[in-house]
Amino acid sequence: MTALTLTWIAFPFLVGFTIYLLPKLDRYLALFGALFSAGYAAWLFVHQSPIELRLLDRFGVSLLLDPLAGFFILTNALVTLAVILYCWRSDKNTFFYAQTLILHGSINAALACTDFISLYVALEVLSIASFLLIVYPRSDRSIWVGLRYLFVSNIAMLFYLVGAVLVYKAHHSFDFVGLKVAPPEALALIFLGLLVKGGIFISGLWLPLTHSESEAPVSALMSGIVVKAAVLPLARCALLLEEVDPIVRILGVGTALLGVFYAVFEKDTKRILAWSTTSQLGFILAAPEVAGFYALTHGLVKAALFLIAGILPSRNLNELQTRSIPTPIWIALAVASFSISGFPLLSGFGAKVLTMKNLLPWQVIGMNVAAFGTAVTYARFIFLPHRQQQEAERSPLQPGFWAAMALLLGGLIVANVVYYDAYNLQNIIKPLATIALSWLAYWFVFRRIAIKLPRMLEEFDHLIGFMGLSLVLLFWIAIARSNPLFSGLPFYFGAP
Amino acid sequence: MLEAFVFATVLCGFFGIIWKKNLMMKIVAMDVMSTGVIGYYVVIAARDGLFAPIVSDANKGAYADPVPQAVILTAIVIGLSIQALMLVGAMKLAKDNPTLEISEIEKGNTP
Repeated sequence: MTALTLTWIAFPFLVGFTIYLLPKLDRYLALFGALFSAGYAAWLFVHQSPIELRLLDRFGVSLLLDPLAGFFILTNALVTLAVILYCWRSDKNTFFYAQTLILHGSINAALACTDFISLYVALEVLSIASFLLIVYPRSDRSIWVGLRYLFVSNIAMLFYLVGAVLVYKAHHSFDFVGLKVAPPEALALIFLGLLVKGGIFISGLWLPLTHSESEAPVSALMSGIVVKAAVLPLARCALLLEEVDPIVRILGVGTALLGVFYAVFEKDTKRILAWSTTSQLGFILAAPEVAGFYALTHGLVKAALFLIAGILPSRNLNELQTRSIPTPIWIALAVASFSISGFPLLSGFGAKVLTMKNLLPWQVIGMNVAAFGTAVTYARFIFLPHRQQQEAERSPLQPGFWAAMALLLGGLIVANVVYYDAYNLQNIIKPLATIALSWLAYWFVFRRIAIKLPRMLEEFDHLIGFMGLSLVLLFWIAIARSNPLFSGLPFYFGAP
Repeated sequence: MLEAFVFATVLCGFFGIIWKKNLMMKIVAMDVMSTGVIGYYVVIAARDGLFAPIVSDANKGAYADPVPQAVILTAIVIGLSIQALMLVGAMKLAKDNPTLEISEIEKGNTP
């Protein structure tokens, strides 16, 4: 078991570097690397009992592979496979496939480890690999977007490092459980790093621009899995330490509402999807114990949506209203939109029901508003006009595109087996009512209004400033929660 | 005392990143910040002793803690490679934005 797990972690890196040596086989090798991960994730589900590994004594690397991580690993494998299939006929060169696989490997490593330093290394490798993928087109804009991403994440990781050494000082190891005895400032600093990397709440305002300005396959990777590499550690901390749990849940609700608020008013398709990613990350964090399943369904659906957005004739939603899109593409778009809105028959439904069941009472109103907003957002895609596809429109990319769609959307249907208990009358009526209401709201209200929200907050200086503000806020929350004097104050409302 | 200096360095770097207008200066400020973080690891490692922990017969006294030093070595290497990548990015951007003013770059490159 240990040998298999270690092979699985090293495998994508080995294959990634082999691709440079055998450039002719790049696609096949990349596909093979991702398939291996998918196989490993399947084995984790069959194996059931969690695997805990501790390498190099107590200061060293600790890994934990349980079904929760299994869901994330499976998401990672499926999204990577879909992206490789999508790019199969494109003119992407060897470098692209090698970087994709190295990115895949670094995400696997970040998902597996449960100590702060291994996580730091994995997240930094992930930053570099995603930077290289973002700047792949080599245009000025892509370089700026990539540089901005690398800058923001590196600053966040510097704060994180300070937090990690504070944990070491208190606990004499870098394990996640060390947070229990560490001072509150350690919690604030580490969480700042993870929140920024994961694109959560106001510290994650870098996300919309980065995800919308990258190329379609890179956006799919970024939204589908890259941000989740920092979300799983947050969920894990919440599960390990009950004093952290309410903080993560508050952030989850805040993120879900913030993302959906922007998504509803946005006019650019890729920016809508990026804001929706923010809000869906909130859903994942709102109920940490069932984070895995939600992350799987969101990863599949968002990767599919970004790949579809890449082949739509325009990015502007108003223009798409007048131009109409080919029917087959519209069907794929509608299936994905239905899943993310929580329509029965697709696994987005099961994930939403499961998350809603595990909410604490004070979260329910906020999350229902967010679910309603999500349905309104995707009603705009569902109601796009469509027509028969003409021969001339078939691009050489199409076979790969449909293979990727079959994998992602098929995965959405198959994933229903995870939580088939969701199918009872009461559970089915509620999302249907939400969707019906949101379509009415879309048709009579949101279709007619045109509000352009300012993008000032996404400027670079403001991103860094918000990081400082988030740090102060987190610090304050952590102090309030650790100090018995303040324990009666509002921040205690999450306690059972 | 030493810790105060280290945190002052980190804060200097952080506020440098916010207040400097030039991309190049921002990258340098980030380097100052990471120097502060590295310094903090060294201070923590030296809290019980100063001698390098090398196995030998002679007992030199209190040893420094090797774990934070080993960890920060990794972080230094990663920081260096990220710095290098960012400088290459700045070089490429400098072709069209010779002043490297961040507000100009941002104006030209955001939709």
